Amino acid sequence: MIKSAGKQSVLVNRVVIGLLVAAACLGPGLVRAQESRLRDTIDREIKAAWEKGKLASPARSTDAVFLRRVYLDLVGMIPSYEETTAFLADSDSQKREKLVDKLLADPRYARQQAQVWDLAMLGRKNKLVDGTVGYRNRGRFRVWLAKQFEANEPWDRIAAKILQAEEDGSQLYLAAYRDSDEMVNAVSRFFLATQIQCAKCHNHPYESWTQKDYHGLSGFFVRTIAVDVPGKPEITNQTGNQYLVGEKTIGEALFSLEEIDPKTKKKMTVPIKPKFLTGDELTEPDPPQDYVEPKLKAGELPPKPAFSRREKFIEWMLAKDNPFFAKAVANRVWAQFLGRGFVHPVDDFNSSNTPSHPELLKAIETELVAHQFDVKWLVREIVNSEIYQAADVGAVTDALPQFYERARIRPLTVEELTASLQIAMGLGVEPALKAEPSKDMLQYLGEPTDGQSRFQGSLSEHLFLHNGEGFRGMCRPNKGNLPEKLVQGTEDWNEKVERMFLSVLSRPVTSEERERFVEYLSTDSKDAKQTAQRMEDAMWVLVSGSEFRFNR
Amino acid sequence: MNTNFKPGTCNSGQHLTRRSLIKGMLTTAGGLAVANWGALTHSQTIAAEAKRSGKRCIMLYMEGGASQIDTFDMKLGRPTAGPFRSIKTSASGIDVCEYLPKIAKHADKLAIIRSMRTKSVDHGIGGYHMHTCYPSSEKFPHAEIGAMIAKYCENPESDLPSFIKIGGGSGVYGAGYLGPQYEPLVLADDGKLPGFANPSVSPEIQGRRGELLSFMEHRFAENRSGEPFAAHRSAELRTIRLMRARKAFDVADEWNKARDRYGNTQFGRGCFTAVKLVEAGVPFIEIGQGGWDSHNDNFPVHKANLSVLDPAWASMLQDLQDRGLLQDTLVVWTSEFGRTPAINGQGGRDHFGRAWTVVLAGGGIKGGQHYGASNQDGFEVEDKPVDEGAYFATIYKTMGVDHRAVHYLGARPIWATPKGSEPISELIG
Repeated sequence: MIKSAGKQSVLVNRVVIGLLVAAACLGPGLVRAQESRLRDTIDREIKAAWEKGKLASPARSTDAVFLRRVYLDLVGMIPSYEETTAFLADSDSQKREKLVDKLLADPRYARQQAQVWDLAMLGRKNKLVDGTVGYRNRGRFRVWLAKQFEANEPWDRIAAKILQAEEDGSQLYLAAYRDSDEMVNAVSRFFLATQIQCAKCHNHPYESWTQKDYHGLSGFFVRTIAVDVPGKPEITNQTGNQYLVGEKTIGEALFSLEEIDPKTKKKMTVPIKPKFLTGDELTEPDPPQDYVEPKLKAGELPPKPAFSRREKFIEWMLAKDNPFFAKAVANRVWAQFLGRGFVHPVDDFNSSNTPSHPELLKAIETELVAHQFDVKWLVREIVNSEIYQAADVGAVTDALPQFYERARIRPLTVEELTASLQIAMGLGVEPALKAEPSKDMLQYLGEPTDGQSRFQGSLSEHLFLHNGEGFRGMCRPNKGNLPEKLVQGTEDWNEKVERMFLSVLSRPVTSEERERFVEYLSTDSKDAKQTAQRMEDAMWVLVSGSEFRFNR
Repeated sequence: MNTNFKPGTCNSGQHLTRRSLIKGMLTTAGGLAVANWGALTHSQTIAAEAKRSGKRCIMLYMEGGASQIDTFDMKLGRPTAGPFRSIKTSASGIDVCEYLPKIAKHADKLAIIRSMRTKSVDHGIGGYHMHTCYPSSEKFPHAEIGAMIAKYCENPESDLPSFIKIGGGSGVYGAGYLGPQYEPLVLADDGKLPGFANPSVSPEIQGRRGELLSFMEHRFAENRSGEPFAAHRSAELRTIRLMRARKAFDVADEWNKARDRYGNTQFGRGCFTAVKLVEAGVPFIEIGQGGWDSHNDNFPVHKANLSVLDPAWASMLQDLQDRGLLQDTLVVWTSEFGRTPAINGQGGRDHFGRAWTVVLAGGGIKGGQHYGASNQDGFEVEDKPVDEGAYFATIYKTMGVDHRAVHYLGARPIWATPKGSEPISELIG
């Protein structure tokens, strides 16, 4: 066990945080935010930091780079050949803003947000009682989340509904974290951006957390119970389980002391009262006298309690003066699009992890609250900023540059890769929406980062790219796909190669590339089999290189 | 300029030797192969720096945290003792748990450190600390031990990966500041290669399309120095080499003869594969054994795990000795932490870093000894506490790696072990 640092440093931290808060409140960012659009505040604040740090300002992204970036971020797939050529040919000076509006209104937007947030909440391989939260059994939750984003439900409402776990499909989150310790860890990390599991070793601006605080939080979740019942779990027609979540009327969080009970030779335990992270203990009515929880059959939930501790937690979390909730989501949405949170990683606000741009974080938080947690509004402001639209080139090596002086580099998720391969091969949006990542795709491309968003180039990913059918099969001329159209088409090879690049890499080909690819593709052009093989090779090169693998 | 992505050269990137790969990475400007990996730009040449010691290391990692009291630091007759009894071993004064009968016969090879005192007692942070020697809270791209040993002990001419993890459950902490060429190859629990290791196209097609890919990557990298791109390219090149070396992983026939000795388990097969890979020249292999996190039912869990561990570990030591490899192969038995002396209400033991045990053998380690001690009930270290720094320094010293080797991330220096870390000389022969 780790001892927490002494009281003195807590005091120092409080003072520092106090000063930061004061500075943020008095700072110019906030005042100006009232009279201008948030996107302007973003640009002004980030540029001010560049000037202060004597960093060169990046160029603006090219239209093609912006187009691919914003498609992947907002709708989860690359633009089609038609969408790309139309956008690049458009001479309207407002075309980027118009594109953003179009994509935010696209049904794919809600689906993509649901995928991103679902993964942020549940991870790729979260354990469930009967296995893991794999791609398939999370479908019902994704569909439910997509409905929330489609209706543009305010984030505080979505959060409440996830923790109430009453709407059909919303239950997976609490069901996945069945044990109250797991719920405390997950809820505090995701909704409050606070790592209470380290309460044993962390100081915190509001108080020095102890193990008892941790177990105090457990008190709100210890009565929560999840069961599974047969049902159709997801988008596809498979059978499986669906999850229901309820709450018992009694039950306390227990805290193990270090002392050993001489009789049982086991650690002694004491019950701990529920306590909020802000330090107040919950006041609650006494449970009904002599209440005994009924024996439950498999798949059965207990009767709804007259007093719900979990509901009290939700009320506390969403209260106007909650110091965690709003800034957690402000920082998280920012990081979703800019790669790095002002506080990074996004689930670890603590006194030693200070925000890189505290005034801007405060401004976004304040504006988001003023806009009633309208996430779509915030996304629109962020992607319309010059900072989001910065170029992808430069000498910075960081995937997620500290000062946002170059666009972030993130690997495509396996869902984005699956859909984008369909688009790249000219199969259209409908098949792209229907395509599900195969088991192999999930295994070899499902977890490209180390969990802290650092990309790990794994050899097994490349073995799969080289030798698996997932990519090569898509690249092979077949059933009306683009490779087939190209080998059968009568156009000039120059034209064909131009189309390939616009379809797969969403940009025009360079003359050097055109020459190289035409040469590659037109060798053995009398031999249909060889030509088909060369087409597969060339497409494979385009989809397995860095340019396709990452969103930048 | 020597680059792996030079357009127009014959099959570049497809027929590289390890040395030319490294040279290419070193001399490539503009972020082509490894952009500004501080470690590389600050070293004179890799070849001169990496003094090949011929040493190898196998790390047996007990994922979740193995209990010291139920293995090598038993507290018979004390309130913290569980139900397990102890047995005598081949070394006088060393007793071990009754469920380690085969390893008991090798106790003369074991140096048992019973005074580990470590700081990170949850799985994520503990795994990080016990793989990198640094706390994860520093938020620095530290390199894990396998990457460090790969860098200093690899054979540059070999196509085999220099850092292999068998079973990824113990976590991949990565090569960090050492650069993507030292990222691990992760194998399945039983040591088999990931799927798709057999080339799907002819060498001719692989060569020509690889050349086209190199051309594209070269154009793309010209003004894009991002680390993920470099990692992607490096993995591509290492994959080509792995496909060439894949036969070394095919141990199926020999396993049929060895499996009765190792125990017919995935972990046993992983251990056998590790012996074969060490023999083929791989400098670092970690094998994870899962399922030690016994907050509930500690004793049945440990009994079951020990029955898998014991024959595999013992047969590995025996085979290394029989093949004349043990002198140069360090075998480490470790976890992210130990388990509490106190037994909780569910018959489990919880996470514990204040006084726990790791075991070293081979590689020149002086066997048949205890080092350090915990107190009567096992709650504290009583003699010669060993922290993360001393533990790593001892391993590095044994491997012939400077435990204070310095690398740079940009301008910031980082050492293999923190300041003040010293190897435990009593353990090293």
